[in-house]
Amino acid sequence: MKKFMMLFVGEDYPELGLSPEQIQERMGKWFAWNTKMREQGIIATGEALTYKIKRVVGPDRVVSDGPFVEPKEVVGGFYVIQAESFEHVVEIAQDYPDYDLGNSVEIREVMVFE
Amino acid sequence: MEPGHISDHLFRHQYGKMVSTLTRIFGFEHHQIIEDAVQDTFLLALKKWRTAIPDHPEAWLMHAAKQRSIDLFRHNKALTKREEQFTHGSMSLAIDQLFLDHEVEDSQLRLIYAICHPALKAQDQLSLALKMMSGFSNKEIAKALMLKEETVKKRITRAKKFIVDQAIRLEIPLGEALLDRTQRVLEVIYLLFNEGFHSSGKTSLIREELCGEALRLCKMILKKEYLRNANVYCLFGLLCLHAARLEGKVDQDGQLIPLKEQDRRVWHKPLLQLGLDSLAKSAQYEDHSPFAFEAAIALEHTKAKSFEETDWKTILNIYQQSHKEYPNEMNVLSQAVIHIQLGSFAEAEKTLSTLNQAALGSNIYLFHAVKAELLMGRKKIDEARVSLETAISLCSSDAEIRHLRNKLESY
Repeated sequence: MKKFMMLFVGEDYPELGLSPEQIQERMGKWFAWNTKMREQGIIATGEALTYKIKRVVGPDRVVSDGPFVEPKEVVGGFYVIQAESFEHVVEIAQDYPDYDLGNSVEIREVMVFE
Repeated sequence: MEPGHISDHLFRHQYGKMVSTLTRIFGFEHHQIIEDAVQDTFLLALKKWRTAIPDHPEAWLMHAAKQRSIDLFRHNKALTKREEQFTHGSMSLAIDQLFLDHEVEDSQLRLIYAICHPALKAQDQLSLALKMMSGFSNKEIAKALMLKEETVKKRITRAKKFIVDQAIRLEIPLGEALLDRTQRVLEVIYLLFNEGFHSSGKTSLIREELCGEALRLCKMILKKEYLRNANVYCLFGLLCLHAARLEGKVDQDGQLIPLKEQDRRVWHKPLLQLGLDSLAKSAQYEDHSPFAFEAAIALEHTKAKSFEETDWKTILNIYQQSHKEYPNEMNVLSQAVIHIQLGSFAEAEKTLSTLNQAALGSNIYLFHAVKAELLMGRKKIDEARVSLETAISLCSSDAEIRHLRNKLESY
């Protein structure tokens, strides 16, 4: 088994004007996906991120506040999971609930040092 | 509650509870802060509840929304004083009381009674009630009422501004005023229900939601003993009897199925029973409800095992009585339809001739459609076709036009 990270990229929900009904529906899908992965025992860790960004740059450690990228390119959360291959993760990522909002999943393999 | 499970529409229903309670605490003039706080709370839940749903989701939401409102007040310098009042001392203790279940219901009633202030337009009240009481977004309201989103926004803004400008208090009026205001609240609930029940072209989901909201609001009034009267029970009974038939009256494409062709076996028995019980209850009160006639007619229809077994004579009688008390040209048109149903064409013709066509407004096409029925009954097919074509030319609803065209083809 290898380790992979799924990064969730896209606009933050408040910008999308979702109604309470839509929020609940979406939450139900996230919950179902989380439960499914947990039952398979593949989740190593995962978090949702706030959209506040600070960046420290250069030899002078200059600190600046975002935004740095387009709102739809911000990482809003991640999971680290165990899977056999990229293809396997792609399959798992089918259940990500926010594709319809134009959001996407980026998959990266965690590097292993022998 | 079983962990990991939350009930259908919880967020939407909870929205009304949260907004009502917070509005009672902070005042209607701060509705924007309150609505923002409630929205933020749901978005927080969306992220937080991904991995585990709290044991008491409703309490969690309510508490988080209160905290969020206080935070928002804190960020707004002009309102900092208010924020201090809410978080310290005796006022803060009093506020905690308002989160008890019965107080939450009370807040919801206060809000809908304020929304139904008689100086506001009924159409504005409808949109505002859907928004604040039932947690529909502008987009959802626009879809449900078949309006432009912009129109919905305008109506809601206008209604809110009026409530703020006139400093309308969030309270249930007393004495004489109570009866009048309750009547208004019931009318808005009735309108809400009809939006779901009568117009065509809506998905069954939207129909069910609008009718469900109307039933829920009506039930909320019935829960308060001092608000109960024949009027409320009559409306609730009427809505139950209608709602029981909801599934049978629309086909898969959202098109209306005429009563004659509905499958009565799919009518929802428990709702029918609830309707009957409610109407029986209404008889225990002395007041007379404007909804009583319509409820009596609905009752007759549900009693009939088939369309052919409908007791048209009794229904005609109810229409005639109703017309005496509440004169209405649509009622006269219905009477003509029943005469045709009974085969008394001369009576039907007489009734139609007394009808004030101008008063029918955009429903004038129905007059011509009924006339066509009458002519068909008398086997005057050519004249019937002409009337039907007139009806089609005067009709603006696509679904109705389709229905009339089908009829024309069958002639």
